[in-house]
Parts: sequence; structure tokens; C-alpha cells
Amino acid sequence: MTLRLRLTVLAASLCTLAHAAPALAQQEPGISEKTIRIGMFAPLSGSSMAYGFDPMNGAKMWYAKINKEGGIHGRQIELVIEDDRCNANDLVAAAKKLTEQDKVFLLNGGSCSAATVAAREYVEREKIPLVMLNASGDGALYPVSKYIYGAFSISQYAVGGSMVQFGAEALKAKKIGYINHDDAYGAWNLAAAKVQAKHLGDLPLNVQSVNSNINDVTAPMLRIRASNPDVLLLTTYARPAALIIKKAHELGFDKPIVLAVTGTADLRQLVENVGNKEAFKNVYIQDVLADVPGSPKLQWVYDMYKEAYPDLAARPGYPQPYMPYGLPSAMTVVNALKAAGPQPTREKVLEAMSTMKFDSGVMAGPIEFTPTDHAAQKAAIYLKFDGDKSTLVPGTFKSVWKYEP
Amino acid sequence: MKSRFDLMLLVVAAVVLAVLPMFVTGYVLYVVNLLMVFVVLALGMHLVIGETGQFALSHAAFYGIGIYTAGLLNNHFQLPFILSILAGSLLTACLGYMLGALALRMRDIYLALSTFAFGEAMQWVFMNWNSVTNGSNGFRIAPAQIFGYALTNDLRAYPFVIVITALMLWATVWISRSQLGSAFRAVRESDIAALAMGVDVNRVKRMAFTLSAAYAGLAGGLYTTFSSFVHPESLGFQTTILVLTMVVVGGIGSVRGAILGAIGFGLISELLRQALSFQEIIYGAILMGFMMFAPRGLFAERRKRVRITSTTHAPAPVVATRASGESA
Repeated sequence: MTLRLRLTVLAASLCTLAHAAPALAQQEPGISEKTIRIGMFAPLSGSSMAYGFDPMNGAKMWYAKINKEGGIHGRQIELVIEDDRCNANDLVAAAKKLTEQDKVFLLNGGSCSAATVAAREYVEREKIPLVMLNASGDGALYPVSKYIYGAFSISQYAVGGSMVQFGAEALKAKKIGYINHDDAYGAWNLAAAKVQAKHLGDLPLNVQSVNSNINDVTAPMLRIRASNPDVLLLTTYARPAALIIKKAHELGFDKPIVLAVTGTADLRQLVENVGNKEAFKNVYIQDVLADVPGSPKLQWVYDMYKEAYPDLAARPGYPQPYMPYGLPSAMTVVNALKAAGPQPTREKVLEAMSTMKFDSGVMAGPIEFTPTDHAAQKAAIYLKFDGDKSTLVPGTFKSVWKYEP
Repeated sequence: MKSRFDLMLLVVAAVVLAVLPMFVTGYVLYVVNLLMVFVVLALGMHLVIGETGQFALSHAAFYGIGIYTAGLLNNHFQLPFILSILAGSLLTACLGYMLGALALRMRDIYLALSTFAFGEAMQWVFMNWNSVTNGSNGFRIAPAQIFGYALTNDLRAYPFVIVITALMLWATVWISRSQLGSAFRAVRESDIAALAMGVDVNRVKRMAFTLSAAYAGLAGGLYTTFSSFVHPESLGFQTTILVLTMVVVGGIGSVRGAILGAIGFGLISELLRQALSFQEIIYGAILMGFMMFAPRGLFAERRKRVRITSTTHAPAPVVATRASGESA
């Protein structure tokens, strides 16, 4: 080979490499010159729809807003949506479809903790970022996974601890009754409740665990009444919560009842299911928003919803109480994509998220991640609820629970 | 004619399954793997309900035991997956044998309720035996190993899932055509008549429960080859009903029915996830359609209507009898 030929081949190779370099950068899945494809999933049908449908609408309206403002570094956000039915098998199928078939850049989804945890091994193997929608997903967050971020509404470990703190501090309880579910998140919030009770000088905690499909709560309520607690904390879903509040009233249990955020999907429906406003004489509800829903501080969220979904907003019961929870997860994705720069990679996005801190203007506390803790939200507020109106109890209440490997 | 058609169907299926990984994504292979697990479960259900006519509503429990046994052995002892899933299947076979004792004392709805109770009790165990199953937090399964080859994704697990499913299909047809299969069907038609024919009814019932449970345990083991997580919530009555639906809609008493029911309903369930809020209505409509227009299932044993003519010219009664040679 002559020198001239060698130089020509070398020059041609360099030219090829120079052209190939940007093309390699473009090969990050889900990223094109004009779009960033994001895979979303949540329960959009069935009995758990309330946990996913409107939070997803909240997230979608934030993405739409960003697109309207020109997108992220000139790229429009493109969403591919799947229904996970709040079921572990369906959620894994959805995550696999979005990752392998739709080739999304990252996953933003999951509204049910137990189901979302099922995706952990898969996203770790595929090295795809998963930003949970509004699942607390503690089982996927602890021990920390490089690829998973969540608990934008609140970590379940924080729920139980915060409830006990509120009962002891604001309601001066010396003995606490506690009803949780016998499922994953029931176990998580109970673990934190026990830690908090110990932290407060070994407060007695009478725990009754019930199945989420329970139809008759007489037995656990009789046991709770027999233990004569100063306050009853409920960390159940809405349906068992309605049964318990109703039964407590029937049994003449007049101590304060505090309902965790997981049971407050639709307060109007809760009152209807209990069937008697008198039962709400001494009821408090936990919330994780920055203020009472509908307050001036949060009005912008509801205005935005009305603009994005005028037909839905006109229907009674909409937006649903969990709708705003979808926003901080979408905000996190957008902020991380912005921070990752014009040539985003999954690694860059993960790196940006690992030290992210911002005030969403929606939630009670800041959205805050550290390399060793990927649970976003840990603060809760409490409202006195009379069956009609909610009044804010001053202060925020936090759990002292810390993950110990 | 029928077996020629079946053979052709098998050859086509084998060719499609062999070339499939070259053309589809990992997600499609995941769905196929899951469908194969449903096929094994449905074949097990077919043996006890379709062949022997015994009510058994405990399949989700045996399936769960298979998953946890194989998963635990794999996680803690890194056993080759063949050994771990065989262990799960052996354990469920033993439990199935014991559960079979119920079938000797009960029948129909009472048997159904007892097996249902067993299923519910097992789900409670999965949910609450925290030190072993990790309870309500769900159980994480490490990738299965076969001679050092880690089954880390659906593609790697696919050949093993297909081969084991094919083996189970072959075993089902073999059992069905064996003396035991004839004894199963004799018991299904009538305990007393079977006894009169010299069939050991007790042994046959026990065998049906044992084999059926072994199939479900093996299906659980298969699940661990491509899935990395199981939650006790997915091992409840709903799963049993899903498998029962597959067998009933496919056609009770037919191996083809059990397979196509499993594939059909597994696929419908996955495809309907795209239908968002209408999926339950569509699923309900499909089920109602089957019940209205094919109440005995798509591939149920056809019963030949035989006209028996009296020599005295009396009105000819129409009697339904089983077609000869139809066993599956």
C-alpha cells in the first residue's frame, strides 16, 4: 500500500468516526433529534384506578406545559402510556413493553407500592431509570437502587412515623390504637410507627392488621375499643377506612381518629360511604400537599387542570384528591432531563437526580434526593375534617425512621 | 384425521416458536414465557377437572409453592434450575397427594370448598411467613442458573421454558392415552361404575390430585426462570379462577382446549391492558359470548347423537353418548 493510499484510508476512517460519534450519542434509547420518549404506567382501570388515573393526568399536564414552552433543549416530550392494573405481573409486563418494544428513554410510573416493587430487578438489569408516579414504593427504594426514585407523595415509612408523631404531639395521646393493612405498605408504615412510638418513650401501640378486602370490621374495632386508646390511627385504604369510621361511631368510640393519606382518595365518597356526618366529629386526615386542597397556595394546580382537561374538570369528583401528586414526579423528570444537557444519557439523568432538591410548590415538604436516599417526600400535614370542610392543623410532622442496612 | 391435524398444528407451533426469538422483542418473549406457564397450569387443571372430574380450586397455592420453593433453593443454594424446579414440583406433588385424601371423602361443591380453603390458607402463609417468603414485601428471585449459564432475561429463559412446556404436553397426552387416563375418565363418568369395572377409585383420585399439583408446582418453577419477583397477592383465588376459565372456555376434557384456552385467555388479558378503561367490559363480553355460544368450551369433547331405533316402531329416543376414541 502506498503512503498516499494509507493516508487516504486513514482520512476516510477518521471522517467515518467523526460522523459516527454524534450518531452514537443519538443511539441512547428513546432520544431522537426532536423528541424524548417517556414510558408512563399506572392503574388506569379497575378498583385501584383512583390511585393512578388522575395523578397521571397531573403528570401529563406538566409534560404538556413543558412541550408548550418549547420542550427540553428543543426536544418535545413524547409519552407512551400503559395500564398496570395495580398488579405486579401486569406492571412488569408494562415496564418490559415500554422498555423493549417502545424503546423509551426512562420510565415514569407506578401508583401502587407492592406492584411497583416488582419492577425493581428488571429496571436494574436493564439499567433504565424508573421515576415512580405516586407510589411510595418503599420496597424498591430501600435499600437504595441507583435506578429508582419515588415516594413523591410520601414514603410509607414516613406515613406511620408521622401519624404517631401527630397523635402524640398534636392530640396528646399516651396510648395509641393503630389499624393497618396486612400487605406490603401496611408492614412498612407499621415499622416506622413502632420506631416513632419507641422514640417517644415507648408509647403503647395496639395494632390490628386487617385485609384490604375486609367487609366486617367489628372484631378489630372491638379489640381497639377494649384497649381504650387516646387516638386511633388508620393507615388503610378508603374502603376499610369508611367501614372503620362507621363502626367506631356505632360503637360509641369518640376518641380522635386520624386517617392516613392512603385512605383519602375521595373524601366526598368517604362521607357518603360512612353515611353519617356525625361520625366525623373527631376525625383528622393526613395530607401531603403544601396546604388544604383548593387553598390559594395550590389554586394554580387546579386552574392548570381545568385548562388541560375542561371536560373532566366539569364532572363531579374531579380532579380527584391525588391528582396533584403526579406533578412532582413529572417535575423531577423534567428537571433531570434539563440538567443532563442537550445530549442526555440515562447515566447523566440518574446523576442529576441523585442530588436533586427543589420545592415543587405542591407538596408539604421539598422534593429531596441524596445518593443514599431516593425517597422524595417525608413531611405531612394534618387537617381537621368535619365531613364537609377541612381546617389545617398548624405544623408539619415527620418520621424519625431511618433505613438501616 | 384429528391426530393428523394436531400433528400439523404442533409442527407449525414448533417452527413458529423456534424462529420467534429472531424477530421479536424481549417483551414478546416475556409474554410467550408467561403463556407457557399458563399452559402448564392449565394442563394440570385439565388432568384433575377435565380428565377425572374432580373439583380442585387450589392451583394458585401449588403454583405459589412451586415459585417459592424453586426461588428459595435458587437464591440460597444456587441450585441448577432443573433441580430447583423439580424440588418444587415434588413438594407440591406430596401436598397434592395429601389433598387428594379430601377427594376420597368429599365431592362436588364440598370438595371445591375444601380445596379453596387450602388455597386461601396457603396464600396466608405466603403473606405472613416473613422469615421465609418475605411476606407482604414480595419475594425477589435471583436469576436461575443452569450449569453456570444465568437466565438473566426472557430470551435466555425462553428455550428452557419451551422445552419443559413441550415435555409437559407430551406427558399429558401420554397419561391421557395410558391406562391411568382411562381410569381417570372412568372415575369422571361414575365412581360406582368405575369401581364395578375394577378401577381403584381411591388410588386414581389421589393420582389425579398428585399429578395436577406437580404440574402447578412445575409451572411455578418455570415462572422463576424468567421472572424476578413474586407477590403473594398474585397467588390468590383470582389466579385459580383464571386457570379454571382457561380450561372451561377451552373445553373441559380436551388437551387442545386447555392449551388454546391458556394461550387465548393469557393473550386476551395482556392485549386488553391496551384497552384502558374498556378492558373489563370487553373481557366480560368475551366470557359471556363463550358461555352463550360455546357453553361446553371451544374444544370440548364432542358427543355423538345416536339414534336408537326400536324394532317395535316406537318413537325413537335420542340418546347422547361419548364418541368412541375421544379422550382428549
